[in-house]
Amino acid sequence: METLIKADAVSLRGLKKTFSTPRNEVEAVKGIDLKIQAGQIVAFLGPNGAGKTTTVDMILGLTQPTGGSVEILGLDPRQAITAGRVSAVLQTGGLLRDMTVKETVSVIAHMHEKADRIGPVMERTGLDKIAKRRVGKCSGGEQQRIKFALALLPDPDVLILDEPTAGMDVMARRDFWATMRAEATDGRTIIFATHYLEEAQNFAERTILMSQGRIVADGATEELRKLISGRTVSASFPSPEHADRAAAFGDSVQVAERNGLRLSFHSADSDRFAAALLSEYQGYDLEISSPSLEDAFIQLTKDAS
Amino acid sequence: MMSTYIRVEFARHFRDGYNLIFALLLPAAMYILFGNIPSYTESALGAGNVKFYLMISMAAYGAAVSTVAIAGTVATETMQGWGRQIALTRMPPAMFVGSKMIVAATVAGASAALVFALGAATGAEVQEGWIWGASYLIILLGALVFACYGIGVGMMFKSESALGLASGLMVFFAFFGNVFMPLEGGMLDAARFTPMYGYVALARYPLLKDMPAGVDMAPDALWIPTANLVAWALIFVLFAVLATRKAKARQ
Repeated sequence: METLIKADAVSLRGLKKTFSTPRNEVEAVKGIDLKIQAGQIVAFLGPNGAGKTTTVDMILGLTQPTGGSVEILGLDPRQAITAGRVSAVLQTGGLLRDMTVKETVSVIAHMHEKADRIGPVMERTGLDKIAKRRVGKCSGGEQQRIKFALALLPDPDVLILDEPTAGMDVMARRDFWATMRAEATDGRTIIFATHYLEEAQNFAERTILMSQGRIVADGATEELRKLISGRTVSASFPSPEHADRAAAFGDSVQVAERNGLRLSFHSADSDRFAAALLSEYQGYDLEISSPSLEDAFIQLTKDAS
Repeated sequence: MMSTYIRVEFARHFRDGYNLIFALLLPAAMYILFGNIPSYTESALGAGNVKFYLMISMAAYGAAVSTVAIAGTVATETMQGWGRQIALTRMPPAMFVGSKMIVAATVAGASAALVFALGAATGAEVQEGWIWGASYLIILLGALVFACYGIGVGMMFKSESALGLASGLMVFFAFFGNVFMPLEGGMLDAARFTPMYGYVALARYPLLKDMPAGVDMAPDALWIPTANLVAWALIFVLFAVLATRKAKARQ
């Protein structure tokens, strides 16, 4: 009988990492508790130095935590890797320049004992067209695709990507995420670290914000966007008097920015305010925008520090 | 797991002409140069002739240099993130090192075999046939000691140019280790403490073993080169372990 309680894809408890140098100690990760259910697509979002890569390395068992524990599908990282249930696209290096694309995929496939996956994976990642090229002659985007192919070889349940689109141009990034979407089926859990807000917005159902070694926010990506309530409403006015009258609309409205006859307001009830702007204060060129994840991020990291 | 990896490793070495020249062609060319131009190379020495002596010297040098170069790539490739890539597969890191050692031993073996074949073709002679085999085996096994030296330097400096320097230093070790030309007096006394002295002296021992003590080119008592090789083996192993630990801690 199948057990009803499934193990979490990833479970972190009190995870800590301190790097010691002769001069001082650096706390890269300051205690992370986290559960990720199977099948979720999760973004680790944060600026450089937030501890994303260190956290990813600890999840994969590449770095030993100073404290706390890691479980992947109920296994320790090494067991999960040996069983081929987790794999990753690492951020830096990881390829040998004088190997060909085919050789690279082939040796790693044999290390997984999954030689039968070489053909299908190369085809799906579009590497079959550059199979004989040396890795050193491939563009940054192509090298990233090779690393992605290597990660797909064991057909993992949990796929971890550390800054997968770093160094790619816009087109390559778009292609990459298109391929990625195709792989995000069959209940595969995908966790990716990024500092591109739009990648989290477009791709992740859940976003975990990290800053200075801590989780500062964790929730559905949509919820996170709503964390900063209200909208920004901008309008131009025929005269300063009109603008002043609009600014005195009520408690729900504050002036955010004044630029001649163009004003931006924060409004908790943007619909009602916008209607009033048009009908009563002769406002024109109206713009209403919701705060971006970036705004939310600045707000949250400010709160945390 | 390992067989595919080893096959690709060989393919890489064959594509990289630079490595091939240093591992195979240079020792062979040096044997041709030193072993055939001077007039004294036909003269008898120990159980054979001077050509046989020079053949052993160049084969030992070639085998050791190839081993350093290939073993050193264990370190540089690990540092380039390839080690992390392998750490995400079922293959244990020991198998990665093991594959490299098999490749290193094969290339070292081919390098020494080429010099031996040239020797046989151009008049290197020895009275007892088994000395061919014994010398070759000592060269091959002794060369593996220098693998640790290569790994240590690679881990310490993390760069391919450092590895080139490590191979270059082998010329220096060979010169002061009595490999290229017979040293005398104070130089020979100092040579007894350098890393290649014990290795090459042991490889020559089957040829020179019956020479009476005191004669020119007569071998040391067997314990001297043995102690030298064992001591340097321990030093290189310790160096490799410490350098690896330090490199891993910085990661």
